[in-house]
Amino acid sequence: MRLVSFVLMTLAAWLAIPAIAQTPGQRHIAIDLVAETDRPAAGGEVTLAFVSRPEAGWHGYWKNPGDAGVETEAHWTLPAGVTVGPIQYPVPHRLLIAGLMNYVYEGPFTQFVTLKLPAGLAAGMRLPIGVKLDYLVCTEEICVPESATLATALTVGDGAIPPKRRAEFDGWRRALPKPLGSPASFAIDGGTFRLGVPFPAGAPAKDVYFFPLTDGAIDYAAPQKVSREGDLLVVETKAKAGGPPAVEGVLATGEGQGFSVRATPGAVAAPQQAMAWGAALAAFAGAVLGGLILNVMPCVFPILSLKALSLARSGGEGARGEALAYTAGVVLMCVALGAILLALRAGGATVGWAFQLQDPRVIFVLLLLVTAIAFNLAGLFELSAPGMANRLAASGKGGAFATGALAAFVATPCAGPFMATALAAALVLPWWGALTVFAGLGLGLALPFLAIGFIPALRRRLPKPGPWMETLRRILAVPMFLTALALAWVLGQEAGVSGMTIGLAAAALLAAGLWWTGLRQAKGRALAWLPGTVAVVAALTGVAMITRAPAQAAAEVAGTEPFSETRLAQLRAEGRPVFAYFTADWCLTCKVNEKAVIETAAVRDALAKGKVAVLVGDWTDGDPALGRFIEAHNRAGVPLYLWYGRGGSQPEVLPQVLTQAMLIERAGG
Amino acid sequence: MRLAFATLAVAMALAVPAGAEQTVGAQAGNFRLTDMNGRNVELSQFRGKTVVLEWNNPGCPFVQKHYNSGNMQKTQAAARADGVVWLTINSGAPGKQGYMTGAEAQAFVKKTKATPTDYLLDPKGVVGKGYGAKTTPHIYIIDGSGKLVYQGGIDDKPTSDVGDIAGARNHVLAALGELKAGKPVSVAETRPYGCSVKYAD
Repeated sequence: MRLVSFVLMTLAAWLAIPAIAQTPGQRHIAIDLVAETDRPAAGGEVTLAFVSRPEAGWHGYWKNPGDAGVETEAHWTLPAGVTVGPIQYPVPHRLLIAGLMNYVYEGPFTQFVTLKLPAGLAAGMRLPIGVKLDYLVCTEEICVPESATLATALTVGDGAIPPKRRAEFDGWRRALPKPLGSPASFAIDGGTFRLGVPFPAGAPAKDVYFFPLTDGAIDYAAPQKVSREGDLLVVETKAKAGGPPAVEGVLATGEGQGFSVRATPGAVAAPQQAMAWGAALAAFAGAVLGGLILNVMPCVFPILSLKALSLARSGGEGARGEALAYTAGVVLMCVALGAILLALRAGGATVGWAFQLQDPRVIFVLLLLVTAIAFNLAGLFELSAPGMANRLAASGKGGAFATGALAAFVATPCAGPFMATALAAALVLPWWGALTVFAGLGLGLALPFLAIGFIPALRRRLPKPGPWMETLRRILAVPMFLTALALAWVLGQEAGVSGMTIGLAAAALLAAGLWWTGLRQAKGRALAWLPGTVAVVAALTGVAMITRAPAQAAAEVAGTEPFSETRLAQLRAEGRPVFAYFTADWCLTCKVNEKAVIETAAVRDALAKGKVAVLVGDWTDGDPALGRFIEAHNRAGVPLYLWYGRGGSQPEVLPQVLTQAMLIERAGG
Repeated sequence: MRLAFATLAVAMALAVPAGAEQTVGAQAGNFRLTDMNGRNVELSQFRGKTVVLEWNNPGCPFVQKHYNSGNMQKTQAAARADGVVWLTINSGAPGKQGYMTGAEAQAFVKKTKATPTDYLLDPKGVVGKGYGAKTTPHIYIIDGSGKLVYQGGIDDKPTSDVGDIAGARNHVLAALGELKAGKPVSVAETRPYGCSVKYAD
C-alpha cells in the first residue's frame, strides 16, 4: 500500500511540473501597447505605454525585482532613426514570501517608454513599431518567464494628442514616482544603512518604504524603520557589505505615491531615540541656565522678589522648607506644562513652548491674575488681612509651592527668546529627555531661592526687613502692570478688539471688587473678601465670551490664485506681469522659499505694488497637466519659478533658491 | 522502503546560523544534510577540495533553462573533471514547487544526466537560509581551505532564454579556472537570478 501511494505521489509530482509550464498564447499578464498619439511629429517624442493586467494571484516585477526575479527586458524593432528610452516603472508594492522580498505589481500597472523621432520625416510616413517584452510573472508558488510580442503602427503627423488618450495616460502617469528635487544622503554605520531624505514636516506620509534600485546597498527583506525629524525623513535598515558610491531608489509614501530619490554618502544623524546622553545633558544645562535668567524677567521678577524677602524673614528651618516647596512648585509646573506640550505634539497639533498662550482664554485668565497681583503689590488690597494672615502663616510651605507654580506659569511667555535652543532640543528628544529639560528649566528658575533658603550667609546679606519693603512693593507693581498691559495686547492679537475689550472690562470689574475688599480690610470689617470674590467670579465669566479671531492665514496667500494655462494666457493678454510658481507639500525647497521669500511682507507688498499676478501651481498630487507644463520648462519637478515680465513673450526661469531681492527688483521694474 | 523513509528524514544543519548570509572571503558555514540516498553528508568532509553549491528547483524555468540546454550538466562535468566537489541542494519545502523526495531526486539526476557529486535535501530550508540562498539557481564556491570565494548567479545573462547561454560569461567556470591557476576570483559576487527559493513559511 505504502509503495503504491509512494509511486503515485511521485508520478503526481512529476506530472505537476509540466502542467504549470507555459501554454503558448496564454499569458499570465495581458499587455497592451498604447501610444499617446498615433500621429507623432517628426523631431518630436511620443510616449508608449505597456498597459499590463496580471491574472488574479499573479504578480509582475519592478525594475529591481528584489531578492529573486528578473527585470523586464524590451527588444525593439524600430524604423531607422527612431530611438527609445529606458522603461519607466510605476511605484511598486512589496511582497514578502517565506523571508524573501519581492518588489512587485499585484494589480494592473503601466510602464512607459519614450520614442524619439528624427527630424525631417515626411508627414504621412508609416512607422511600424515592434517590441518583444521578456518578463517574469509569478504566483507565491511558481514563476513563469513570459514573452509578449507587441506591435503598433504610427504615422508621422502633427503630434496632436487626442484628449481621451491624454486623460487615460494622465491617469496611468499618476502612479509614476515624482522627482523629489532635494538631494538625499545616506550613511552606513556598523551594519545599519541610514537614508536621510529632505521631506517637509507638514507633508503627509504613511507606510513609508524605500525601494532601492541600486543592488547590494541594503538587505531587501530586513524591516525598515522610518522616523521623521522636522524636515528630515530617515529610513533605517540593514546594510549589505560594501559601500556603493550612490544609492538610487523610490521612496513610497503611501496611497501609490512615490518619489525618485538619489542619495550620496553623507552624514545622516541617527534618529533621536538613540540620542547621546551628552546632548541631553547639554540641553539640560542650557535649560537650567535659561531658567536662571528668567528670574529677572519683568513677568516673574516682582513675584520672586517678594518671595525672596519673605524667605529672608523666616529663619533657618522654615526658609529651607519654603525654598524646597517653592522649587517643587516651579519644577512640577514646568514638567506638567512640558508633558501637556508633548501630549499635544503626539496628538498631531503643532505647538511650541508657551502653547498655553496660544489660547486666548488662557491669556484672559492670566490677565486677570496679573492684574490682581499688580493691585495687590500697589497696596489696593492685602492678602495679609488678619484672618488670612494666620492661614497663610500656617501654610507657609503651601503658599511657597503655589507661588512657585504661579511663577513658572507666567514665566513661559518670557522664555521664548532665551530658551529657544534648549526648548527646540526638548521637542525632538524622546519624552523622558524632554521632561528632563523642562525640569531643568524649573530648577534654574528656582535656583536663587534654593540658594537663599540653604545658605544662611546669603540670607544675612539680604537687606533687613523694614518699612522700605513696602516702598519696594509699590515700585514692583509697575512691571506687573506692564505685564498686564502686554497680556492685554496679546489678547487683542488673538481675540480681536472685542476680545481685548472684554478682557479690560473684566479686569476693571475685578479691580473694583478688590478695591472694595481693600476698603473693608482697612476698616477691619468682617467678610472683607466678599466683594472681591464676587468680582473674581463675575470677571471670570468673561472667558465664555472670548473667541478666537479669524485666522490670519487666509490673508497670507491673498492675492494668489491657482495656476492654469488658460488663466496665465488671459493675464498675459491683459499685459500684466505674472509670477507663476510651482510647489508641492512634499517639496522642502519650495516650502523654504515660500516662508523665507514669497510670503514675506516685503515681497508681497512689492508684488502688489507692481500689480504682479501671482499664480500658484500645486503639484502635490502630481497632476500630469502641471507636470507637462513644468517639463516644458526643462525641469523634472518642483520648485519652478517663472517670471513673465511686461511685454516679454518668454518667461524668465528663476533659480530654485530664491531671494527676496530677485522678486522685489522684478516687481519694481 | 527503508530508503524512502531515510530520504524523508529531517535535514540536520550544523554551525550554519539561520538567516545569516555568508561573506565572500570568510569561512563558509559548515552544515550536514541528508542526501538523495539517505546518507548524511557534511561540508567539512570535503576540506581540501574546492566545493560548488548549486541551489536547485526542477520546476523553476530558470533552472530548466540550464538543465534542458545541458549547460548545467556541462558545467558540472567540467568541474568534476578537475576534482571539484559539486553539491546540488534543494531547499524547497514539502508541498511547494520543486520539492523532491530522495527517490524523486535520484530520478531527476538520472533523467537529466546530471553529474553532481551529490544531491542534498534541505526541506526545512535551514542550510538555504544559512547561506542566504535566494534564487534557483544560486551558486556558491568554497575553496580548499573552507573559504567562500564566490556567490551569485551561474552567468551574467539573467533571462530564461536558452539562446542567451552561448554569449554569457559562465561565472562558475571562470571562478574555478582562476582558482585552479592559483589566482584570486575576479568576479567574486554577482546578483543571482531566477525563481525565489520555495522555503517553508
